[in-house]
Amino acid sequence: MTDAIRMLLALVGTIGFYLLAEQLYIRLHRSPLVHPVLVSIFGLIGVLTWLDWDYATYQQDTFFIHFLLGPATVALAIPLYEQMALVRKMAVPLLIAALVGALVAGASAALLSALWTGDTLLSLSLIAKSVTTPIAMDISAVSGGSPSLTAGIVLFTGAIGCLLIPLVLRLMRVHDDAIHGFVLGLTAHGFGTAQAFDRSVTCGAFAGLAMSLTGVISAFVIPVTPLADWVRVIIGL
Amino acid sequence: MLTNILGKVLDPSYAPFLTGRQTHVLGIFVLLLFWLLGSALVAVLAWPIPGSVVGLLGLWLALVVNGGVPDWLKKPSSLLIRYLTLLFVPAGVGLIDHWDRLMSHGIAMLVIIAISSVLTAVVMVLIFRAGRASS
Repeated sequence: MTDAIRMLLALVGTIGFYLLAEQLYIRLHRSPLVHPVLVSIFGLIGVLTWLDWDYATYQQDTFFIHFLLGPATVALAIPLYEQMALVRKMAVPLLIAALVGALVAGASAALLSALWTGDTLLSLSLIAKSVTTPIAMDISAVSGGSPSLTAGIVLFTGAIGCLLIPLVLRLMRVHDDAIHGFVLGLTAHGFGTAQAFDRSVTCGAFAGLAMSLTGVISAFVIPVTPLADWVRVIIGL
Repeated sequence: MLTNILGKVLDPSYAPFLTGRQTHVLGIFVLLLFWLLGSALVAVLAWPIPGSVVGLLGLWLALVVNGGVPDWLKKPSSLLIRYLTLLFVPAGVGLIDHWDRLMSHGIAMLVIIAISSVLTAVVMVLIFRAGRASS
């Protein structure tokens, strides 16, 4: 097999698998547990293992897809701009809520993992767990975690958040769609935003805003906090 | 005959789709430009912050100054965001290199994610309640 054919096979296989997984997701009533990205990742891991392809080669061959994450991250400025225009009056309280939420989400996961698993790479990769994947992978790389592991963690966080957060909000008697959406988007990023749009447009808009704010704030705040050092100190003890 | 065909191809009014595509390319150019500017700024200042996010903020500021999102930027951006989850499949497949770690700490990882998510949600709701009570 020539290099060009192998590369095209990897590209066509990845996009094709994703499109099939998307159809499956629609058929199964959009349950977050069969989100196309989860199905694609685990399906392709299976295919790679079966064909005995090594990941380094696959990564190189699919670099074109990965590269588009850069412009896609920059493009997130557009929904952020549109959502901010909707909530201009509430901008400051929402920024504060997003800042606190991003810190609680990152610090609780990383410190708990340091105490429990004692695995440095896993704990550092958990720091960005509630951040939308493209930004989370960059934060993870900057903080000493693994971008691939973070991608997986973020997806699990999205699926788990979609299952648990609505229960928590019901138990706490939250009836406001704006708060519901904001909490869902902050903890469960894109997964939560998709679920929030099923509830109402207001809920979805606030979830999208929370997701964008958490991503941007985390990128600026998490790398300058001593969180990564604390994780290393706890594990070193 | 050849010159006739060439003349038609080169005539802009004959190929309106071509001008449509050029505007898409302008949008992609702007996205790449802001990514480049963000990455360069981060590198020069030696900030521990992802360049792509600085580019995002730069573009957001440009949109605020401009007072709206031009159509030629919105179209390619919507396409990228629509398929954002596809774009991180190649990185996600990298979990294959962490398979041993997932086997040994996978359950702990899921429980930690669940605890941390619930804790974050509770704290957020309390913040909103406190904010509402004080205002």
